[in-house]
Amino acid sequence: MRLSADLKRRQAGARWRAAFDTLAFSLLLLGLGWLLVAGADALHYNWQWYRVPQYLYRLEEGGFRAGPLLQGLGVTLELSALSLLLALIFGLTAALLQRSSSWAGHAVARVYVEIVRNTPMLVQLYLVYFILAPILGMDRFAAAVLALALFEGAYAAEIFRAGIEAVPQGQWEAAEALGLSRLAVYRHVILPQAVRVVLPPLTGLGVSLIKHSALVSVIAVADLTTEGRNLIAETFMTFELWFTVAALYLALTTSLSLLVGWLERRLAVGGAGRH
Amino acid sequence: MPRSKRRFGWLDALVLAVIFGLTGYLIYRVQIHFHYRWDWRLIPGYFMRYDAERGHWALNLLGQGVLMTLRLAVWSGLLAGLIGGLVGLCRISSSVFLRLLGRSYVELIRNMPPLVFIFIFYFFISGQLLSALAIENRIANAAPETLRVLAILFGPPELWLNFLSGALCLALFEGAYVAEIVRAGIQAVPIAQWEGAAALGLHPQQTLNHVILPQALRTVVPPLAGQFISLIKDSSLVSLISIQEMTFSGNELAVSSGRVFEVWLTVAALYFLLCSGLSRLFRRLERRLDRHGRQPH
Repeated sequence: MRLSADLKRRQAGARWRAAFDTLAFSLLLLGLGWLLVAGADALHYNWQWYRVPQYLYRLEEGGFRAGPLLQGLGVTLELSALSLLLALIFGLTAALLQRSSSWAGHAVARVYVEIVRNTPMLVQLYLVYFILAPILGMDRFAAAVLALALFEGAYAAEIFRAGIEAVPQGQWEAAEALGLSRLAVYRHVILPQAVRVVLPPLTGLGVSLIKHSALVSVIAVADLTTEGRNLIAETFMTFELWFTVAALYLALTTSLSLLVGWLERRLAVGGAGRH
Repeated sequence: MPRSKRRFGWLDALVLAVIFGLTGYLIYRVQIHFHYRWDWRLIPGYFMRYDAERGHWALNLLGQGVLMTLRLAVWSGLLAGLIGGLVGLCRISSSVFLRLLGRSYVELIRNMPPLVFIFIFYFFISGQLLSALAIENRIANAAPETLRVLAILFGPPELWLNFLSGALCLALFEGAYVAEIVRAGIQAVPIAQWEGAAALGLHPQQTLNHVILPQALRTVVPPLAGQFISLIKDSSLVSLISIQEMTFSGNELAVSSGRVFEVWLTVAALYFLLCSGLSRLFRRLERRLDRHGRQPH
């Protein structure tokens, strides 16, 4: 009896403390906000939040029209989707080559992964844009897609490799005992099982791809960051526009991260049930 | 999987054909279509040049860039370790306030493109914060000997402001990732260790210092080494806010000399040597640490 009363008192205390801490945290956020506003005031910064919505969208008689920022967001999504697709192809090819019996394939995949993982994304982008693009006559959008895909492809390769290796050895042996060819083993036995393991980290790769896609503003592809930088150069609303751009990215990536968490939980449960 | 090595199969033939085909096509485009004249002779001069006026060798742009990248990596690495350690401890603290603080910092930075963070930092923080430090006044008042020592550590004094904002920016950014590594390392220590320490009558602070952290250290070291290599790679990003490191020098040289292909290939090769060399070194150290760790005490 005394023990449970003690426990109850302690729980109540913990709840009070948590409420107090949350309050303190909100106060801290308020303080930071105040500091920002005060700092901007000291610079005689003229807040013009009311001008921001028109850069997001406009409601004209024709209906809803996307402003530069939302158009930039569209380009970011298009760029990310295209390069994700290409990255998956590169990654799967590299992973399969690395596992194949071919020494040439193994070497090529290793060299590719090593080069990409040991140089900065920015330098790779410059290499593609300044060297490969003029040689092959690519435009900047294609160069951006290729650079992003090559970069993320190397990470996708590691994910695929881990996914394939996670399939139990017995599956290989059983498939071989059934007389399946190597291609058939991969297509019908290994890859369908590997997909479950691979899907959550691949979604994480998508998040990182969206983040890295901001880099293409360096070569003036009209993505969200580029649009933001252009608008800032025009309007000098540095604070408002950077915060808006950051918020758009945050909304995009956090919703994808939430999706990753959900996928992980779902696939984990499904996987445990099926064995 | 039975693996037959050193045999020439159809896949080898295919891969080699594709590689040779691609390389041949590229060379054809460069030489015939593009008429590019390779000239590598200028590149060594971009690292070191002979100063005829003073009569000794001096570092040129690319050499200075390499040094700046190394300095940035070391100092922002240390700072990121400090920030990450503190925030990592906040993340596992029993206080909701500290947990909220750590969580917001980590989530905010990890969900924002590095580029956007760097620009926001550059516009808002670096200008106001660094003017408050009044570094320029202090440099003017410092003794020449101290300046010389500091120049070895932080680079030429006229670039300190530049260097500091770059290092701070990188450290704040990487700190979020370090924090997650630290948190994961602490949480990987079995809960029974906490309970055991509590049963022995240790205070939570003592438990952390004497029981948990020594064990967490071992799990934390390999991912931290990887994060350090990431930091070197990410340091190329601060070239965009005019911190004069390797990528910045590369950009300047490519524009001023017109030797675009050679300069960018050189910069990429430098990063590759630095990062792959470090990762090899870390792997060797790790293996040695493992071997020592397993021996009975």
